Amino acid sequence: MAETATHTADHASDHGHHSSTGLSNNKLAMWLFLGSECLLFGGLISTYMLYRGRVSDGPHPSQIYDIPFTSVSSFVLLMSSLTMVLAVTAAQRKDDRRTNLWLTVTAVLGATFVGGQVYEFTTFIREGLGFTTSLFGSSFYSLTGFHGVHVSVGVIMLLSTVGIIKKNKITGNKAEVVELVGLYWHFVDIVWIIIFTLVYLIPA
Amino acid sequence: MAIIERPGSDTTPAVVTASQSLGAVKRPVETKGWKEWLFTVDHKKIGIMYGVVAMFFFIVGGVEALLIRLQLAAPNGTILSADQYNQMFTMHGTTMVFLFAMPMAAAFANYFLPLQIGARDVAFPRLNALSLWLLIVGGLVLNASWFLGGAADGGWFMYAPNSGPVFSPSNGVDYWILGLQIAGVASLIGSINLIVTVLNMRAPGMSLMKMPVFTWMILVVQFLLVFSLPVITVALVLLMFQRSYGATFFDVSQGADPLLWQHLFWIFGHPEVYVLILPAFGIISEVLPTFSRKPLFGYPFVVFSGASIGLVGFGVWAHHMFAAGLGPVSVAVFSVATMAIAIPTGVKIFNWLLTMWGGKVWYTTAMKFAIGLVMLFTVGGLSGVTHSVAPSDTQQTDTYYIVAHFHYVLFGGMVFGLFSGFYYWWPKVFGKMLNEKLGSWNFWLMVIGMNLTFGPMHILGLQGQPRRMYVWTEARAGEGMFNLAFWNLVASIGSFILAVGVLVFLINVVYTARKGKASPLDPWDARTLEWLTTSPPKAHNFDRIPVVHHLDEFFHRKYEEDTATHTMKKIAEGEDLVRAEEEAAEKDIHLPGPSYWPLVLAIGVGILGMGVVYGVPIMVLGGAIVLFASYGWVLEPSVAEDIDFDPPSTDGSTKEIAPLG
Amino acid sequence: MSHIDPVLTKEKAIDTVTPVKSSRRRIVTALAGVSATVFLTGCATNAPQDTFVPKGPNAKIIDDLNMIVFPIAGVVGVIVLALATYIFMKFRDKGQAIPAQSHGKPYVEITLTIVPALILTVVGVFTFRGIFDLAETKDTELIINVTGQQWWWEYDYPVQADQGISQPIISSGQLVIPVGTKVLLRETSRDVIHSYWIPALNGKKDAVPGRIHLLRLEADEPGIYAGQCTEFCGLSHANMRMEAVALSKEDFAKWVAGQQKAYTAPAAGTLAAEGETTFINQCSRCHQVNGIKDANGKPIISAPDENVYSGAAPNLSHLMSRNTFAGAMFDLVNEECRADVWNAKSEEFGAKYLAGVSEDCLNEKDLRAWLRNAPAMKPMYADPSNLEKSNGLYRGMPNLGLTEDDIDKLVAYLLTLK
Repeated sequence: MAETATHTADHASDHGHHSSTGLSNNKLAMWLFLGSECLLFGGLISTYMLYRGRVSDGPHPSQIYDIPFTSVSSFVLLMSSLTMVLAVTAAQRKDDRRTNLWLTVTAVLGATFVGGQVYEFTTFIREGLGFTTSLFGSSFYSLTGFHGVHVSVGVIMLLSTVGIIKKNKITGNKAEVVELVGLYWHFVDIVWIIIFTLVYLIPA
Repeated sequence: MAIIERPGSDTTPAVVTASQSLGAVKRPVETKGWKEWLFTVDHKKIGIMYGVVAMFFFIVGGVEALLIRLQLAAPNGTILSADQYNQMFTMHGTTMVFLFAMPMAAAFANYFLPLQIGARDVAFPRLNALSLWLLIVGGLVLNASWFLGGAADGGWFMYAPNSGPVFSPSNGVDYWILGLQIAGVASLIGSINLIVTVLNMRAPGMSLMKMPVFTWMILVVQFLLVFSLPVITVALVLLMFQRSYGATFFDVSQGADPLLWQHLFWIFGHPEVYVLILPAFGIISEVLPTFSRKPLFGYPFVVFSGASIGLVGFGVWAHHMFAAGLGPVSVAVFSVATMAIAIPTGVKIFNWLLTMWGGKVWYTTAMKFAIGLVMLFTVGGLSGVTHSVAPSDTQQTDTYYIVAHFHYVLFGGMVFGLFSGFYYWWPKVFGKMLNEKLGSWNFWLMVIGMNLTFGPMHILGLQGQPRRMYVWTEARAGEGMFNLAFWNLVASIGSFILAVGVLVFLINVVYTARKGKASPLDPWDARTLEWLTTSPPKAHNFDRIPVVHHLDEFFHRKYEEDTATHTMKKIAEGEDLVRAEEEAAEKDIHLPGPSYWPLVLAIGVGILGMGVVYGVPIMVLGGAIVLFASYGWVLEPSVAEDIDFDPPSTDGSTKEIAPLG
Repeated sequence: MSHIDPVLTKEKAIDTVTPVKSSRRRIVTALAGVSATVFLTGCATNAPQDTFVPKGPNAKIIDDLNMIVFPIAGVVGVIVLALATYIFMKFRDKGQAIPAQSHGKPYVEITLTIVPALILTVVGVFTFRGIFDLAETKDTELIINVTGQQWWWEYDYPVQADQGISQPIISSGQLVIPVGTKVLLRETSRDVIHSYWIPALNGKKDAVPGRIHLLRLEADEPGIYAGQCTEFCGLSHANMRMEAVALSKEDFAKWVAGQQKAYTAPAAGTLAAEGETTFINQCSRCHQVNGIKDANGKPIISAPDENVYSGAAPNLSHLMSRNTFAGAMFDLVNEECRADVWNAKSEEFGAKYLAGVSEDCLNEKDLRAWLRNAPAMKPMYADPSNLEKSNGLYRGMPNLGLTEDDIDKLVAYLLTLK
């Protein structure tokens, strides 16, 4: 690489930094990734929809869902999208303090949601719905578990972003990094709204 | 993970501040020896490594195929046991699809796509390296099963419930799941990377409809991958949960529907078919015009037919399930959709033929393989039309007729396309010409071998020999000189001729490396931008980013039309053009430095995967490595420190202009 | 453009890119001709599973479609390949100038899109009709439940008074049907997916556990029609064969009567009677023989324990009325007798088949080998040393460790199961 490690100031356009789509590479990549994720959740949701009524053993969906509880945790997650928006706006204003504040709040709300899910899972298991109990159990835990992992990864990303901003080690456009995390976060949020509707609200 | 724009005069906090990731590990600067390859993020080196890995697995899969044909050469074969045979055909299919065909296409895409669009690298060079290492890790995990209690034995389609823990109790299927899962992540990352590269990083003036067809086909393939891989991921996850953690997804006693797997698998599996063939279509869409000295006939039709093949390819998956009991309405719909996909495919064939029509056709080995593709693919495509008639397919599916069909399209089509690409682009990559005489032997042995191997399978299948049988019996072989025993023997002999053909290619590679002639810069009088640079290209690809005015830009820089005769007159040699570029070279070109993290992260993912088989502690270890590598990745500075360069870089002020990926 | 074309000179520089030699061209043409001839005449005669020899109306529907699509594909193929050959012969580089850089003609493209589309529309219309014709089940005359399992098929004829079936018949190895009768198979599976395929009578249909799939068969003439499991079903997939036996309606009635015949225990003191005892001790846990009674005169109902995955083994009542055993992997009749039945004229076939397996015809070699050590004859998850690998569940018949003496007795006994 040494031969090419000389630098210039004026060839930015040659690198394709002018993007033909008007989106930065990072954002385009994130959109594509999320597009792919749609089909991932599509597959898991389809599996759940196919199997939710197939209960050979253990409780039936209607016997076990605690709609009020899940509604509250859904609301918490929904609110985190709002705080995420605030974080992105702050980042665009280059207001590091507020960016970090709102990112942290978002992470806390996300963690609360994950905590709620852990509580829900343990309750369900106590009530007799294990991962291996029935097709309903397997597909329920797979779908919501996958989503939970996505939220958890999001929380880690949010907190890491806070840390990196604090240490001023961010490699790249700070506002865009926050925006990318935000895109992911909103996606995970929207998926939850779909899951909540299909899994909890529509009776099997 | 960012391409960093220089922040103009407005000096916000310096974009790059950390020069050591995690305060401990420096960004490497190696340019020599093995480190040059292990830590590289150069799309060309990565492309070559993809090619080497794919070729290795091509040989592995080929040996598996030869063992299969040895076993079936005579009735009641005893070379392999039933168990070994089942592992062999499972791994042959899996290896050829996931570890040869896709990586080899990735090799071509990685190497040539940035060159064809006039870019200096892909959008995310480090992710590009990660894709490669993940693929290698996936391939190793998959094949490790041979040494750890037996490989997967459920066929590459791995139908449930036969793939479940009861029916396939060895760990083979577990390794299969993990290997594919990891290779799938690799492909997904690679596809996102290439889409962004094509959409965002084309040279000035290169509108989408001025892109080379190869680039177009690769773009279509990447979209297919982005939207089909998550579906197989779900299927694999469900199967993994069942096998390793007791979930019930395919447990019929719990009320599961085994057809769920088939739908998920084929929703991925059918687009996958086009993932395999379209890169080869792209390659010959470069080769045929070059050696006919004419532009591709009907460029927009070829592009749109490629795109529509991709689109319709998502809507025909159930034609793999005509015998699976779907009900007549579904069968009818999928049957007609499948016929429809023959139309854009036919368009391509005609366009290739018409490209040669009126041309000045030059029969190099690359061209022979390309024509071989057109003819053999036509045979395979037409047998494909016979399966689209669903009732006929119920007689054909799971017989050797299907094996014949997809080997005509995949071997006669895809492999011939890839070999055409080898001969066409070898001088570009290595600066040396593959020997044409050996190439001719290579081609003819492969044509004869391929037709002898797969041609008789049409007869075998239509006369009732099913696939996936470790033995066949004379009682069902019929009578007469040309009974099924005869054709089985012919197919087996053919497979060895085919193998010799491939061997000649390998000999050619070695011969060329040792004694090959240096290639002129533009040996084929080529048409596209990758030839507007040295062979092999410099690390930064182009001394000056070309400005594109035409489809086939390079050709139009060399030729201009004689207005009287409408023939083309040469006005410049390729060498002259490249020299002109060198003279006008941009003085300061920056490329991203190498990185440790893609390799480390990939190893971490591999260990994480093995944790599924070997327990939580291994998983935790893998997870820790992944996490550590991710942080290292994110915190990695865009370049090494100035003093780490050789010679040391003196002007650090502008180095942030780098695609970091 | 002319002889100074720099490309041409460069061509010569590259080792051996020479125009196709005419001798080679002749070889290619000859090869193409030979291979076409071989392809058209190169088929086996009397291949038992030939898909182009329909022997019943369902297979005929498919064959009619084949007769449309195969010729079309063939003609298109020949045209395209001939065109390709013509093009690359004709436009060889003979030193002509670099041609005009034309990018194609839309009307040609559109024509070349529409013509195939029209052809496929025609094919599509016929296909549609074929699909729905084959899915017809309303006018069914005989229902047979077909259950696949590793690695054999069970045939269960439910009670159907109009076919003379007054008690269920459970059989395996050979599917027996009356000719000219619309038979509906209701397929399912006890373990993995299998596929039922008798090419002469119809296409294949998967037998999927947890689902029932319907497949119509009808044979025009008496005879034996071979088939093979065509969905990969594990270790012995290759050995999972089937045979459909079509009998005239009268002969079918006789067969039904034979299957419903009461059990007659072998006469006391014979070798066969000793064999019955051996059978009761060694075999009857898994294999049902209807009417067999234990020492106390209590009927024995086979009940494979939880170590047998599918919970079932072939019902051996009237074993000697069949010509095959072990999932039709082996013939129960020796080669000579087999040929006699398979090659029988249509009108003699029924009588020959219904004669069953006499002592002279018995394929003792394979039957004894099977009784001696079944897993050695057919790969199965039935080897006790491998049970751990298969999670402790037998799939297939284990090695029972019988003595030669036991085997003599058993063979004598089995011969009485007419």
